[in-house]
Amino acid sequence: MAMSTRCAIARSKMSLTKCFILLSYFICQLYAVQRDNFKTCEQSSFCKRQRAYQPAQSPYVALEDSLKITSNTIDIQLLNKDNNVRFLLTIFGLQDNMFRIKMNELSPIKERYEIPVGDALKEEPAQQKINFAGKDKDKFVIKMSNHKLLLSLSPFRIDAYTDETPVMSLNSQGLLKFEQMRIKPEAKPPADDSADENGEEANPQEAVENQEEKVKEEKKEDETGMWEETFKTFTDSKPHGPSSIGIDVSFPGFENVYGIPEHADTMALKTTKSTDPYRLFNLDVFEYDLYNPMALYGAVPLMYAHNEDRTVGIFWHNAAETWIDISSNTADKSVFSHIADFVKGNNEIPQTDTHWFSESGVIDVFLLLGPTPRDVFKQYSRLTGTTQLPPLYSLAYHQCRWNYNDQDDVKAVDANFDKFDIPFDVIWLDIEHTDGKKYFTWAHDKFPTPEEMIKNLSVKGRKLVTIVDPHLKREDGYSVYTDARDRGFLIKNKDGNDYEGWCWPGSSSWPDFTNPVVREWWADKFALSEYKGSTPDLIVWNDMNEPSVFNGPEITFHKDVKHYNNFENRDLHNIYGMYVHQATMEGLVKRSGGKERSFVLTRAFFAGSQRYSAVWTGDNIGEWSHLKVSIPMVLSLNLAGITFSGADVGGFFKNPDPELLTRWYQTGAFYPFFRAHAHLDTRRREPYLLPEENIKIVREALRLRYSLLPYYYTLFYQAEEDGLPIFRPLWVDYPKDKDVFKIDDQFLIGSSLLVKPVTDQGQTNVNVYFPGKDNVWYDIDTYQTYDGSMTINVPAPLDKIPVYQKGGSIIARKLRPRRSSSLMYQDPFTLIVCLDKQGKAEGELYVDDYHSFQYKNGDYIHRQFIFNKNTLSSKNIDPKGQFNTREWIEKIIIVGFPNEPKKITIANSSGENSRILGFQYNENNKSLTIRKPGDNIADIWTLVIV
Amino acid sequence: MTEKAIILALCLLYYFVPDAHCGIDRPRGVPASKASYYKPGETFKCITDGKTIPFEYINDDYCDCDDGSDEPGTSACPMMMFYCENKGHKPEYILSSRYNDGICDCCDGSDEFGGEKIQCQNFCEEIGRKDREDRERLILLQTEGFKVKLSYIQLGQSLQQEKKARLTEIASEKDTYEKLKTDLEAKKNEAEAPEKEAKEKHEKAWEEEKEKKKAVKERETALMAFDEIDANDDQHVEIHEMLLHPEFDIDSDGTVSHDEAKEYLEELERAGQDEFLEKIWPNIKEIFKSKKFSDDVKEVETTESTTEQKEPEVKPQPKRDNWAKHEYGDDDDEDEEEDDEELEDEDYDATTPPPPVEEVPEDKMPDYDEETQKLIDAAEQARNEFNDADRKVKDTENEINTVRQYLDIDFGPEFEYGSLKGQCFEMTDREYTYKLCPFDKASQRPKNGGSETSLGNWGHWSGSEADKYSAMKYEKGQNCWSGPDRSVEVILQCGTENLLLSASEPSRCEYRFDFATPARCIDPATLQPSPKDTHDEL
Repeated sequence: MAMSTRCAIARSKMSLTKCFILLSYFICQLYAVQRDNFKTCEQSSFCKRQRAYQPAQSPYVALEDSLKITSNTIDIQLLNKDNNVRFLLTIFGLQDNMFRIKMNELSPIKERYEIPVGDALKEEPAQQKINFAGKDKDKFVIKMSNHKLLLSLSPFRIDAYTDETPVMSLNSQGLLKFEQMRIKPEAKPPADDSADENGEEANPQEAVENQEEKVKEEKKEDETGMWEETFKTFTDSKPHGPSSIGIDVSFPGFENVYGIPEHADTMALKTTKSTDPYRLFNLDVFEYDLYNPMALYGAVPLMYAHNEDRTVGIFWHNAAETWIDISSNTADKSVFSHIADFVKGNNEIPQTDTHWFSESGVIDVFLLLGPTPRDVFKQYSRLTGTTQLPPLYSLAYHQCRWNYNDQDDVKAVDANFDKFDIPFDVIWLDIEHTDGKKYFTWAHDKFPTPEEMIKNLSVKGRKLVTIVDPHLKREDGYSVYTDARDRGFLIKNKDGNDYEGWCWPGSSSWPDFTNPVVREWWADKFALSEYKGSTPDLIVWNDMNEPSVFNGPEITFHKDVKHYNNFENRDLHNIYGMYVHQATMEGLVKRSGGKERSFVLTRAFFAGSQRYSAVWTGDNIGEWSHLKVSIPMVLSLNLAGITFSGADVGGFFKNPDPELLTRWYQTGAFYPFFRAHAHLDTRRREPYLLPEENIKIVREALRLRYSLLPYYYTLFYQAEEDGLPIFRPLWVDYPKDKDVFKIDDQFLIGSSLLVKPVTDQGQTNVNVYFPGKDNVWYDIDTYQTYDGSMTINVPAPLDKIPVYQKGGSIIARKLRPRRSSSLMYQDPFTLIVCLDKQGKAEGELYVDDYHSFQYKNGDYIHRQFIFNKNTLSSKNIDPKGQFNTREWIEKIIIVGFPNEPKKITIANSSGENSRILGFQYNENNKSLTIRKPGDNIADIWTLVIV
Repeated sequence: MTEKAIILALCLLYYFVPDAHCGIDRPRGVPASKASYYKPGETFKCITDGKTIPFEYINDDYCDCDDGSDEPGTSACPMMMFYCENKGHKPEYILSSRYNDGICDCCDGSDEFGGEKIQCQNFCEEIGRKDREDRERLILLQTEGFKVKLSYIQLGQSLQQEKKARLTEIASEKDTYEKLKTDLEAKKNEAEAPEKEAKEKHEKAWEEEKEKKKAVKERETALMAFDEIDANDDQHVEIHEMLLHPEFDIDSDGTVSHDEAKEYLEELERAGQDEFLEKIWPNIKEIFKSKKFSDDVKEVETTESTTEQKEPEVKPQPKRDNWAKHEYGDDDDEDEEEDDEELEDEDYDATTPPPPVEEVPEDKMPDYDEETQKLIDAAEQARNEFNDADRKVKDTENEINTVRQYLDIDFGPEFEYGSLKGQCFEMTDREYTYKLCPFDKASQRPKNGGSETSLGNWGHWSGSEADKYSAMKYEKGQNCWSGPDRSVEVILQCGTENLLLSASEPSRCEYRFDFATPARCIDPATLQPSPKDTHDEL
């Protein structure tokens, strides 16, 4: 929930204190002026300095004599000629076609923050041998298989090549600017100050006169922002002065760049020539605006560049506030861009230039060299990890509301879903379930017997989520708080006292989750003996973990608050939220003795968050525009490794009408994380409250999702290994089709399903682009066919979701509707075999116990189904896995089968136990339904059609 | 043994269950009433779609018929219903999707056959008994409640009749009063004409008398002035006498010149009393200042100014800014409000003047003469009588409106809810006391004091089409901040007395009350007989 909803609460409860009134007054201001609560680049002194930096030539040079070569790394010193500050640059060769380039001050007067290994990076990245191939003119040549780096000495720059094609350049625009740590100058005459700062700027002798004047002018402003900065009524004390870093990264030959969530924007990133840069700074933004580069709740500093020939990426390993400027010689239509001099005089080659700058830390850049989309996802997942296979229930439907008022309410909602035969797996309790917003407690009058309430759910295989936010009410009787306080686990303000801010409970403090000991302490709070009223069927939601501080600058921490090891929030702001949900997930897993997979939802996130939690796109609005933007937002999250993500169905704020809510369910049924949620002030909107006709449609959408759970589960299993997006942009599977590069209103689920939800009011037809020149796509309801590389206008009345299965794919579905996913676990599969133009198809199915870590010990079944030459066979593609299940195959539907067969037989792998199967052929849609093969899903068999 | 074999073995068991009731074997999940569709044979004909399939396809866990009739006892056909016999309790159909899903839905456990997920107990006897007990309790409640309801109906109907009768009665009363009013108005007019005439005459005479008195007084003043100016008492006012009076200094040079005096004397050297009164006094009376008088004047002035002071100069104004604060403040600053009020009271006290002293007019009109007074008294009486009649007409009109409003309300098909109007019922939960005044309003107030918030005013019956009188809607209550107007849905149930059972807020500002009332009870004779008596399978 956004903080600003506090107004409503303060107004409705009569017993709140005057402080709340003041607070609500302050917050209510946001309704009109919310943008003013957040900084523009102009209002952030480092952003302004970095963005304005345009030297005639980069003053940074590499010092040839300092070169040190080891088998996997190369060290070289850099010198800023303007101020004689030295830096150490290290180049690492990494496995899976990656380079890492790290740059820090050679001898900083104060240690600069680096994210500990194991946090964003899941481990120390495995290194790869690189060859130092000597010097070519004034460039060092560093080779790694078919890739090479050219390191120019003066001015310093790096160009990356794959097979002699330039793919990325660093500092080719000369925007490298590394502000060294320094002693705060004593109050001296201004002339001395400016001499001290001179080094930061271009050499005045080389600059023209008017430029020099401009530089001086800027410098004066800079001084105020460097050692203290004021935004609105908040002063940032900046005890360590300026420390920002920045460098440009160019992508020669690339027009499209993607990634750097979270922004409410298109999937293909836009030029920032006429806007602020894209900002990465985890913030609680009330009723966020659409299609702009403002920061939102989470940050993944990862960008991909893609063209018909290749995909590359850059991972900016820095947790401080970061801004990214993007310009493109095609999008900006200006002839400014000085393309790398090795490009053979062809100025028409598209190029995207990006400029990254962060407030502190070091430059630590990973070059992901692809060359295919699948390669870059794998590369990124080698660095930051992938999403662990979620327990099946968490992929099903979640029913949330702020708030289900009491136990009876929970019981009634649960009963109504069954009454209306609508499936759901998880019901959620928002902040009102606690005693005075003290997490880990219950409002006993409303929830007197939580265990009993949970049991009532769990007998139907359902779960309960409670919200646990990181702000702790400062109340002497609240043991979580006093415990943290007494152990010194709370974050400190700049003076060394416990930091205090306002959040839901009023006056609050925050544990310092950046400290591993604090994370362990927090994790233990989830033990069943500690968290009274919890059971193994209770799971957790971390909200407000950016963190949201109602009375803080930009509604978050002051930048000068102090964390573990004496670092400031300035250094690590964007990773704080991840530590919160990481500790929560670790607690939940620990709770079961490490046996059970669990589930946590988080709002704030960082690179690596995918290893622990699902993410949702925060407090959206029940409007059509927010339904539409949810698709690019979830696509961008998926590209950045956060595959388990979704938007609140229905929109958090405001009341969606039945049409919008129905369409949102149809879209949401495909989000990897599928939850409906609603604000306290909204009308009830559980699906059974819709008009009868809409209930029917929503029920069908939910059943479709449940029938596809085996497919989603299999995709998540595969993605745990390969890091591929689940909710996938078309370009990932059709990288050579230029027409799909910017499509973000339709998407793929895995490779086999194409979805184009209706996201416009009153719309009953949509244009669907069917990718793949040789492809054929089948409507999943009618089996009507559509040829690839075509845009077709298809009817989409309210009860229709345009969803297509790819010819050439096989999807295993469970078509028997049940009340929850866990009640489906013994149900039989139906294989839907959609043939391609060659009459072939294949697909995979992964099966295990759907909830434990036993699959890590080999308790699973991974099968491949292959259809070729009228023979369908199952194949054990992972003999390491073995698992006993009662799941069996009840039906096989082969779509695109040309004519009625004579006979169908099935036999086991050795050709024994042959049986004849019944079938039905539908001439109209060319579908062949094979009756009851009956084989257990673990069996290996071959089916022959004659 | 493979899983497949187990399944096949189980499938065999699926086919038939012996039915103790009729002694006919029929497939699992089929009620006796439909057993005839499932006569054993070579083939089975799907009940509605007419498709023919081998008989062994029945309940083989594969859906062959489009209507699902081949799988009455499995979950293979999603649209099917599974029949549980539930001996000892009542039989029921459950969704076939609930068959073999690990949850015991039927009390006889017949929906969970697989046996791996769950072993169901047969607790039909137990819940059957409980159900019968519940039912008995319900019947008892309905019976008791219905007795009260009958009295409510009587009361409601007699209230209706009373009101209707009253309406007729009052309409005729109104006619009577209107006629009376017309008559009395004429009488009033009649009596007022001579009254007016006599009063005017009396007043005119008094006006004339006053004029006379005024003239005499004016002359007296003039003569006093004459005497004063006539310093040598020669009965003439002369120029040299005028020079002694500085008020005649026209050009304000400090002295009264000869010319100035002469100008006031209208160019005469001297003037006798008559000339003075006629020509000179009118010109100087405004400027003449009597030395003798001046003391008097001062005295008068002093008295006057004291009198003036007795009038409050400024009336105490309510402190606007305080009020403004009240208007904008929300519920939370209750305490502050009280403080303000206290402050205001103090302010008021400080500026409250002493009560004004009654003034006695110098010249009072003499009382009306006896004749006139008689006329006035007569007119006054006529007026009072008329006003009386007029008020009665208005009162009857008001009453007619009230009665009509009452009669417009739908108090239920038998007026059973009629007697609830005018009563209020309360209940208190953790935070609030909720109040329901049927057919009037609903409200809440904080338990620990504070002002009442309107949750809505009587709107309409809001039950389903089939059962309109099962719920009431109270709407247009106090508006919610950034939300809708508050409203309440009151769900009614049978009770032996009127009782507000619970209040909740399922959606923001949309409340729900549960209210028990005998008016909602039904005749136990119309209740369905106990399920033990019938064994209906459809």
